[in-house]
Amino acid sequence: MRTVSVLSARLVADVREMVVEQREYRELLVRITARDLLLRYKQTVMGFGWAIFMPLVNTAVFSVIFTRVAPIETAVPYPLFAYCGLCTWNFFASTQRFAVVSLTSNTSLVTKVYCPREIFPFSAILVSLVDFAVASTVLVGLMAYYRIPVGWPLVFVPVIVAVHVAFTAGVALFLAMANLFYRDIKYLFEIVLAVWMFATSVVYPIERIGGRLGTLLLLNPMTPIIDAYRATLLERQLPAMGPFAAAAAVSVALLAIAWLLFHRAEFQFAENV
Amino acid sequence: MNRPGVTFNGVWKKFRRGERHDSLRDLIPSAVRALVRGRSDELAAEEFWALHDVSFDVAPGEALGIIGPNGAGKSTALKLLTRILKPTRGRCEVRGRVGALIEVAAGFHPDLTGRENVYLQGAIMGMKQAEIARKFEEIVEFAGITEFIDTPVKRYSSGMNARLGFAIAAHLDPDVLLIDEVLSVGDARFQERCVERMHALRASGVLLVFVSHNLTAVLDLCNRAVLIDRGRVRFDGHPAAAIQEYRRVTSNRDAGRPADADIHLAGVEVFDDRGRPVQAIDTGAGLTVRIHYKTSRPIERPHFAVDIHRGDGVYCHGTNTHLARLDLGTIDRDGHIDLVIPHLRLLPGCYSLSVGILDTHAVKPHDVQFHAYPFSVTSTCRDNGLVALEHTWRVPDAQPARLSPVRTDRTDRKVALR
Repeated sequence: MRTVSVLSARLVADVREMVVEQREYRELLVRITARDLLLRYKQTVMGFGWAIFMPLVNTAVFSVIFTRVAPIETAVPYPLFAYCGLCTWNFFASTQRFAVVSLTSNTSLVTKVYCPREIFPFSAILVSLVDFAVASTVLVGLMAYYRIPVGWPLVFVPVIVAVHVAFTAGVALFLAMANLFYRDIKYLFEIVLAVWMFATSVVYPIERIGGRLGTLLLLNPMTPIIDAYRATLLERQLPAMGPFAAAAAVSVALLAIAWLLFHRAEFQFAENV
Repeated sequence: MNRPGVTFNGVWKKFRRGERHDSLRDLIPSAVRALVRGRSDELAAEEFWALHDVSFDVAPGEALGIIGPNGAGKSTALKLLTRILKPTRGRCEVRGRVGALIEVAAGFHPDLTGRENVYLQGAIMGMKQAEIARKFEEIVEFAGITEFIDTPVKRYSSGMNARLGFAIAAHLDPDVLLIDEVLSVGDARFQERCVERMHALRASGVLLVFVSHNLTAVLDLCNRAVLIDRGRVRFDGHPAAAIQEYRRVTSNRDAGRPADADIHLAGVEVFDDRGRPVQAIDTGAGLTVRIHYKTSRPIERPHFAVDIHRGDGVYCHGTNTHLARLDLGTIDRDGHIDLVIPHLRLLPGCYSLSVGILDTHAVKPHDVQFHAYPFSVTSTCRDNGLVALEHTWRVPDAQPARLSPVRTDRTDRKVALR
């Protein structure tokens, strides 16, 4: 009984510290994010155009495959289906690509200066969120082009974004931490990302896989999230509540656990970089 | 909020020697080992204590110097204070707003301009945007790089880089300032301004913790010093005494005993006029250097030598019994010899005594201890240089009474042109 109360007291203290630190250092988070955005687009020709370019090229490629080579049925025109999937997936994937090296590429800060280390993966999320916002403008354009009407389920979008960010952040914290201790995580995760994309409803509806593998893939929280975007934005429907609620619960739990672990491991970072 | 302060309470810090496993392949065996053995405070094969039960407190207004040989654990102590590291055991705590002059340019990104970096580094050090904006001009001016502020930092010289970093840190308005060997950056003029700035901060009641190998700077800036050696606190007290202890510890370790141990030095003591042991001596005061020796067989007519060096290595004075044409006869038992200096005409600073026992011709040493006795000279005399020469200013056709002679002995230390 005593151990339980000691542990929960420590948990409360940790959570309070996590929140207080983020508040105290919020300006630093903004600064680091601004720095990363600036660095990303300094000395580039296209600037923010890159945020649009990648999902657009992918959309074109997959449109050729899935409308000409192996046509599939989708509820909305395929390019719209694909772009919606790709730009939401891209937010997740590009966050992870930045987050995985966010601690190791800031070695001088991690070893020489004190600040809550969460800032580095968090800024990776914010940078990708800016790209995501830029890429969404093209989605709006495509919706206008295909004359897709919008309806009241749109009010649900902020909830989806919140769940999406929570899941992304949870994975990002784990990855940043893991790569600090074991540098091969970075390479391993590239492969995982490639497989994960095709295990998610990004460029085709995942139900088409079917069978036992299809059932297994239902466990992937990214699918309900991306499907929820499509339902609310393109089909004027509420997301499928069961899977989405499950994905939301997983995301929040993942973020809570990842953040707590990250916070407790934080003090070993400087010694292990 | 408590009063600002620094507490180091029974702090232990464990480090690992050698290569760390970096690859997933090594994770599984080490995880299994950790599970079997469990977490313990015991040292594993490759581990060592970087800090070994270190305790000290620093109160507001104090300036603590941390000195010690390389690898003694000084920087580890400072990193614990900045919360970069966490103690393995014990508690360390800093209360109040902390400014750290450690790697002052750590947050700089080479591709960003000076201006962008000032804001970034300021945020890293915990300054608010508005605060940085308010102090921006002052910072850039202090660093002396006004015309390069919109140039990417990658084109800066290393000196400019460090100057800008220091300038930001120096404008932080901290309650507690932690400094690690940053005074070595920039040119002489910039260093002077840094020292000035630190004196100003100290005068305004900021608590300083200063890690340095520059013992003169420690003596100059600190009112207390801790000597750390091999992870343990060896001494805690007056900086001059701490420096002495430091010199003693390191010289004992460095100086290998010569093979001829028939006669050897057994210690050095320094007394003031009244026979009290001293570490800080006033300019012009008298002192006695007592050299103890031990013999194992009769030694024919040995000679004793004493050298005085300033902290920066300048050879100030050297004398020996051979030069004084002193015949000590045959020494056949343990004893001591005194060198009496009636007026120590050295200006304030940090000095050390080296002593030696030489053979009959004062050529071959029987035993030598370099820097056996460090001491500091204090005085209100503001003259520059090395020696306190007695002097008087005389102005033709003026009232000589208006100018009091500068005398540097103890009885009249309040010298100045009044």
